[in-house]
This record gives sequence, structure tokens and C-alpha cells, in this order.
Amino acid sequence: MTPEFILGCVILIIGVIAAGFPRPRTYLSRLICLEIPGLGLLLIMLAYDEMLALVTFIGVTAISTFVLVRVVERRGLE
Amino acid sequence: MSTAYTVGLLVAVAGLIIGFMAIVRERDDLHRILLTDLAEVLALVLIALVATDLAEALILPGLVVGISELMAVSEVYIAKEGLQKPHIEPAFHIEVMDSAPGILALILVAYGIVLSGFTGGAVAAVGAVFYFMCRDHAEQFELIETVSGYAWVIWIAAFFIFMFLPQYWLFAVMMAGGAILLKVMAKMSLVGTMRGGSNV
Repeated sequence: MTPEFILGCVILIIGVIAAGFPRPRTYLSRLICLEIPGLGLLLIMLAYDEMLALVTFIGVTAISTFVLVRVVERRGLE
Repeated sequence: MSTAYTVGLLVAVAGLIIGFMAIVRERDDLHRILLTDLAEVLALVLIALVATDLAEALILPGLVVGISELMAVSEVYIAKEGLQKPHIEPAFHIEVMDSAPGILALILVAYGIVLSGFTGGAVAAVGAVFYFMCRDHAEQFELIETVSGYAWVIWIAAFFIFMFLPQYWLFAVMMAGGAILLKVMAKMSLVGTMRGGSNV
């Protein structure tokens, strides 16, 4: 149980609650809240030295944000 | 079974329960698509807890499948709702917005080539996607597909070297790393063209 692992688990739970039930229930706030559990996952990967998975997750998160912002942009901020 | 694994498993299961409760309570389709991304992160936590090279080997394809699924679902959603691209004039125009995409894309692609392999492909592809998204593009996609096809052949050839001429393993690793870099980059750079263009 390294400090990174404990911090990752705590951030993961906080992030899941934040993304599941965002306070202003808009697309954009939920999209921003989705980054929090991602950070928790990154810390858990860091605790286990999964470097390749960590770097690739960062790259893929950037692309998935592109994809989601594109849909939200067309739908309109609501 | 170590304590860390048990604790991590409990956290992941608690997260999955909260996440799926949120999906069940949600009525709006786009909110559900966003929550799918959350479910993917939780699934990756379950795999990451295995904490060996196996976890790493399982996470990489999981990420690629996740992003392609997200792209497909968002495309279906746009087609279903008949959404159009909003026509908004940019509020201001500054010179750095024209020059920055090229430089940033160059840095990312160069770093991706240094990394090589799957991760390098992903990093270089982010650079290419960023460039395509910021600039207009008039690329010939047949060319990209051809390069991708040759990269696949090189990758397979590297595996034959592993099997029949194992003493040249370093050469084969280099071949496979370079080929998978080209392949991932060619595929993922197509994401950048989703805004439409003359050749798409």
C-alpha cells in the first residue's frame, strides 16, 4: 500500500461521485469532472510502475476529449 | 492476495456501483455517452490492479477499443439527432494560432518517433490529430492507407524474424517498433479529419 495507491483510490472515488452526479448538470461540467477519475487511475498505474499504459492513457484521453467536445459543441451547451 | 489488491478491488467495485447508478438515473443520451467514458476508466482500474506486464498488455488494446467505440457512438449520436456544425465566426485573430499547430505537432511527432512502438504511435498521432484539427487539411488518404498497409507487412515480417532467426532479435524489435508506430499513427490521424474536408 504505497501513498500513490491510497491517494489514487481516494481520488478515484471522489471523481466517480463528481462525474456521476455533477452539481450544475451540464455537459461541460460532467466532461471536466471526468478528468478526476482519470487522474486516480493514473496514480494507481503509477503505483504499479505501468509506464507504457500511463503514457498511452494520457494520449488517448486527449483524443477522447476532442471527440466528446465535438459532440457537445454540436449539441449546444445545455 | 495482498491487502492492496483487496482494497483496490473494493474501491473499483464501489466506483462501478456508483457509476452504473448514475447511468440508470440518467435520461439524456449525451450524458449517458459521457458516463460510458467513466465506466471505461473503472474497467481499466480493474485491469491495472493486476499489476504485472499482463496488465499493461491488456490496458493498451483496451484503450484503443475504448476510443474507437467512443468515436463510433458519438458519430451515431450525431447522425441520429441530425446535429449540424455551428457557424460561429472566431472572435479574434492572432498570428500564433496559425503557427503554433505546426510547431506543437512537430514536437509531438518527433517525441513519438523517439518513443517508438505503440506508445510512440499514440503520441505522434496526437500531434497529427492536433494539426489536422487546427488547420484545413487536403491530404490524400489513399497514401496514408498505403503506408499503413506496408507497416502491417513489416510488422508481420518482424514476427517471422523472431520465429526463424531469433539471433537478429534487436533488428526485429526495431522493425516491429517502427511499423506499429506508423500503423497507429496512420489510423489515429484519421480522427483529426472528423470536421470534414474535400478528400474525406
